[in-house]
Amino acid sequence: MTEFLFFIEVVVAGLLAGTMYSLVALGFVLIYKASSTFNFAQGAMVFFAVLAFVGFMELGLPFFVAFIVTILLMGLVGYCTERMVLKPLMNQSEDTLLMATIGLGFVLEGLAQAAWGVEVRRLDLGIGDFPIQWIIDTFGLFVSALDLTAGLVAAFLIIGLSLLFKYTKMGLGLRAVADDPGAASSIGIPLNNIMLLVWTAAGVVALVAGMMWGARAGVQFALVDLALKALPVLIIGGFSSIPGAIIGGLIIGASEKVLEVYIGPYFGGAIEGWAPYVLAIFFLLYRPEGLFGEKIIRRV
Amino acid sequence: MNKVNNNSEDILKIENIEVMYDSVISALHDVSLSVPRGKIVALLGGNGAGKSTTLKAISTMLASERGKVTKGKITYDGTIISNQNPTEMVGLGMVQVLEGRRCFGHLTVEENIITGAYSRKLTNSEMKNELEKIYSYFNRLKDRRKSQAGFTSGGEQQMLAVARAMMAKPKMLLLDEPSMGLAPQLVAEIFKIVKELNTKEGVSILLAEQNTNIALRNSDYGYIIETGNVMLKGTAEELLDNDEVKELYLGISKEGRKNFRDVLREEGNSKEIKSLSKTTNS
Repeated sequence: MTEFLFFIEVVVAGLLAGTMYSLVALGFVLIYKASSTFNFAQGAMVFFAVLAFVGFMELGLPFFVAFIVTILLMGLVGYCTERMVLKPLMNQSEDTLLMATIGLGFVLEGLAQAAWGVEVRRLDLGIGDFPIQWIIDTFGLFVSALDLTAGLVAAFLIIGLSLLFKYTKMGLGLRAVADDPGAASSIGIPLNNIMLLVWTAAGVVALVAGMMWGARAGVQFALVDLALKALPVLIIGGFSSIPGAIIGGLIIGASEKVLEVYIGPYFGGAIEGWAPYVLAIFFLLYRPEGLFGEKIIRRV
Repeated sequence: MNKVNNNSEDILKIENIEVMYDSVISALHDVSLSVPRGKIVALLGGNGAGKSTTLKAISTMLASERGKVTKGKITYDGTIISNQNPTEMVGLGMVQVLEGRRCFGHLTVEENIITGAYSRKLTNSEMKNELEKIYSYFNRLKDRRKSQAGFTSGGEQQMLAVARAMMAKPKMLLLDEPSMGLAPQLVAEIFKIVKELNTKEGVSILLAEQNTNIALRNSDYGYIIETGNVMLKGTAEELLDNDEVKELYLGISKEGRKNFRDVLREEGNSKEIKSLSKTTNS
């Protein structure tokens, strides 16, 4: 019985850690939907957003105000990106855009460090990374309060964004642009407004993801690389699907913890780092559009 | 924006435009045409004649393909078209239905139609009325409203593209090859709806077509362009009656319909026919 409880505990810890991957992946999905490009700058956006947030807190702004100001700042970043990067490159190939996002990543990393310095910051959200007593008493499970909060926040964001895309006019416009930007502009959907919305939303998601990661591991440059973990998540969930990003994140989170605990010892441990990529390769071989990716519609 | 006479009879007037792609490839040399208010005008010609380029020059979609109007003037409804973008043109009541239908494949048929009203502010009940009105023209789409657009037939997608454009409440519609790749009955059905939209909704229409016969039969005026120049223009009846048009575009000569073999024989190429048949026999 304790064996089984331990297994559940590993899975739950994995699932909750997975929501963090989901959050980062969500940012990728948003931009992929609108401009069909993999946004390599997403990692830098996570870093930039949370560093800015901590910077504002250090200036003495209260938590909530700093949060709002950072969101506005990410909106500004989105606006500048639309004006200075996306608009001039409109109608260029997707590869060109991809290269541009790599460049944008370097610019954001540089800007963030120039403005706020390079040392590792501590971010205290007031939520500790320790087990919740109530859950230990009721279920006999050890679940971290920070993990649980991250899970709830991610769930909230995902539900909100899904509703936004499904039921609002902006959301409909976004889905139209995702399908065919040329046709969308021919019927009067303003592409630049849609892009601004998407980049701002991706900025907000980056900020929240950065806060969750930063609270655990400190606000530091390594956050940029963490975003790469979203790649296997996206391959499994599908690049263009919001539910896919969340489920993909959960699968990666749970499987990497389970594999680490039960199979890791045979490989000398530390398989957490590469196990997700192996899983991703299997998906690429047998289900390249991912679990929830939009199938390529081709009428014969 | 320069306001000119707003009540002129022509809703659209193109004067001697030249269009270049990438600043070097010249697509139109000298095209002039006008669309009288409330009429249908057909722009005819073969592949690469410059029909699509002309339409895109009007709707300002050219910029997104690195094309530019380098000479001449386009006046639409009293406004001179220069630096506007497609969103502004839709705001002015001009909507283009692009070649190849271009429906949003992952959206449902109804969602596709609703995107057409993006530029307008409609309440829920107004939207409902507009949808009902559109469905009264396009009965077929009503049955398929919940289907994903990508899985509907070519004819349905063409209707959807026109329906979507109509949701923007245009004063002028630009149709690029509505007959492309469709069975004759469907082409006839689509032209019937286009004609209906023209008479009942008062939309002026400029349509580019390769199918000369059906286009002229449903239009008031026609222009024939070749390699970026207007070759011939007139009322639809005049053009349908013109010997050159009959021979070159409708395949009817003065002596009646001819087949390929007759044409070759007339040109004294009968030997080649023989040698051709030899190679196929051996």
